[in-house]
Amino acid sequence: MSEADMAVIKPEMMKSYIWLQTADGLIQQVEQEVAMFCPMICQEVIQKGVGSSKNYAISLPQRVNPAMLSLILDYCRFHQVPGRSNKERKSFDEKFIRMDTKRLCELTSAADSLQLKPLVDLTSRALARIIEGKTPEEIREIFHLPDDLTEEEKLEPLKNTTDDPRIRLLNRLYAKKRKELKEREKLKNAGIGEEHVDDRSVDDLLSFINGDSKMTKASKNKKKNRRRKGQEKNAFLTESMETDKMETNGLNSVGLDVEHGIDCQASPSESSKLQDMEEDILARKVEFDDGDMDDEIDPALKEKIDREVEDFARILKIDWPERMQEILSLGQERRPVHSSLNGSSSLRK
Amino acid sequence: MKQREGSKYEIEMELDKISSLPGHIIDQILSQLPIKDAVRTSVLSSKWRYRWAKIPHLVFDNKCVSVPSEDQTFGKNKLTHIIDHVLLLHNGPIQKFKLSHRDLIGICDVDRWILYLSRSTIREFVLEIWKGQRYKLPSCLFSFENLIHLELFNCLLKPPSTFKGFRSLKSLDLQHITLAPDAFENLISSCPLLEKLTLMNFDGFTHLKIDAPNLQFFDIGGVFEYISFESTFQLSLVSVGLYANKNARNVSLEAIKWHSFFTDLPHVRRLEIQCFFLKYLADGGAPRMLPKPCLDLNYLSLRINFNDREENSAALCILRSSPNLLELELLVRSEEQNAVEELTYGWVQDHWKCHLEHLRLVKIVGISGVRYELDFIRFMLLSSPALERMTIKPASSDGGWDLMKELLRFRRASVQAEIVYMDP
Repeated sequence: MSEADMAVIKPEMMKSYIWLQTADGLIQQVEQEVAMFCPMICQEVIQKGVGSSKNYAISLPQRVNPAMLSLILDYCRFHQVPGRSNKERKSFDEKFIRMDTKRLCELTSAADSLQLKPLVDLTSRALARIIEGKTPEEIREIFHLPDDLTEEEKLEPLKNTTDDPRIRLLNRLYAKKRKELKEREKLKNAGIGEEHVDDRSVDDLLSFINGDSKMTKASKNKKKNRRRKGQEKNAFLTESMETDKMETNGLNSVGLDVEHGIDCQASPSESSKLQDMEEDILARKVEFDDGDMDDEIDPALKEKIDREVEDFARILKIDWPERMQEILSLGQERRPVHSSLNGSSSLRK
Repeated sequence: MKQREGSKYEIEMELDKISSLPGHIIDQILSQLPIKDAVRTSVLSSKWRYRWAKIPHLVFDNKCVSVPSEDQTFGKNKLTHIIDHVLLLHNGPIQKFKLSHRDLIGICDVDRWILYLSRSTIREFVLEIWKGQRYKLPSCLFSFENLIHLELFNCLLKPPSTFKGFRSLKSLDLQHITLAPDAFENLISSCPLLEKLTLMNFDGFTHLKIDAPNLQFFDIGGVFEYISFESTFQLSLVSVGLYANKNARNVSLEAIKWHSFFTDLPHVRRLEIQCFFLKYLADGGAPRMLPKPCLDLNYLSLRINFNDREENSAALCILRSSPNLLELELLVRSEEQNAVEELTYGWVQDHWKCHLEHLRLVKIVGISGVRYELDFIRFMLLSSPALERMTIKPASSDGGWDLMKELLRFRRASVQAEIVYMDP
């Protein structure tokens, strides 16, 4: 884009504007230097000579709606100024991409259709940062992905990917439990007995999920823990509590109260169990394959966990053994490691 | 946007923006994730099930697997397992492959992976063997036809006799490698598009003849006896570091002559002469000026021992021949202060005819306040009418006061020159 080119297009005008039309028919005019920052617009102007007036506005691709266009133009307006330092540009970028993921995706798409590579790089990096380190459930929730893989498909031996199917089952049970609690809250009565039952089950549930989520999140927290081996267990506990809180944002005050309850009266057995698990994880430091972590928890703990799973399966009135058998039979066809769920560990290396 | 009386499924589809992004963008997003997270996306939903298998960049590094240091075999096996799996499940062209993990010690699995990669159109290949012996690369590496960037660490290269070069190679980075002398020459001359060459700690060859017409960046650090450039007219960034104190007088008559080194680099913009290279160049005396001035030289960095008169002359020769120098950096090489020939005060007057009209920044690091150093500084100050800042950092705080007192006295040709004294 040389000065000569610009001169040829608009010799007479002092401050020139380019006319842009979005897919919904809305036409607007934008300062020339800002619009020309987008390669696609630049191309249209030079090669086809459009954009100089309202009647000959440049039609923007469908993926660029007015909201996205205004964001993109903000970006261009800032970056097309030549005198800015790298630091300034970087800090603008950091602030610029702070938006919800839906808009981020739309922005990526729009920037791509306008061939604005720096913005595409920026947004895709931001999206990658969002995905990194999260569990599949979290990612699905953030991006509204349908959970449409069958249990079978998820269990397929992409060894370095799938979560422990037991964890997956638990998460599902957990989701069901969450729903159930919501319903119960709705028709809440003063039945203290029921509440107690609830407390206990949620108690188990949360502490168990904490343990589990620590397993699945251990990889994320691993780096932090490795640096300071004697990391305060409390900090670690509260973090996993907090991430649980994120997951359970459907949970109402009943749940929350109970959580606080756990915080206060973390019974020694619970916390020691969690500490054991944490130590196991830290000691082994197996980061890559969550499935393997299964094998490394000591058997006594495993028994306890199995019992707990059975307990609240009962509460949820699911036919646990049958369900387990189903899963196991599917698993056994593919991977022997699944048999570890029965208590016998087989480390396949 | 038309309102649909959608089912829940359709509403979900509306909300799910990320899965409908164009393929190359998803590739870009997934490529920026560590390989583990990228592969994990296969459980997100049916659309994502095999999406990761198309990512063109595969990076296996320390973030992949981490094991406690006692159990290296475990880590190695696990890493091997992972890479095998990923390569097997991968479906699509692989453009970039990087393998750099501390536990990867001389395993033959790398041969297998390189063979696999040689069947795809790989463009960038990075292999770093952190520990152990030089890893002998299989010959199939030399059949990577589309290679643009090659980076090797701790490898032994033995190109087969049928090797015709990497036709598209633009960037070559070889560190801690072993290569036979003619193999090296062949390698460089058979990569016609080579633009960037980095060589560090190499063995197997000591005579370097760099024949690369498109070379723009050259960085070398190692032990060599001879270096020459052929038709490298585009070379603009050069950094040469001779790590060993070679006594050049013992070298055969092929030893590089002053003018040929610089004549072969007519357009050099940034030049760094590090370690003992200046001494090597200076041995046998330096001319007063180079036959042709280095008109494009903007930045010069010299590692110099001020006590050596020959090196001083060499430095002055270069300075006199670089009229457009903007920035100068002098790093003092701390050798034992042998009492070399006495430099008289006349020295400065003698060499005073030097105008560095555009020199703006000077940085001098590691001085100890010796007479010759001060003379040089004084000379610099008098020769640079456009000087903006001279930064001086002594090697130690001994004699700091005396040094400063001397510095204060020096006359400056530039009105706006500031002398910044930094604590050691």
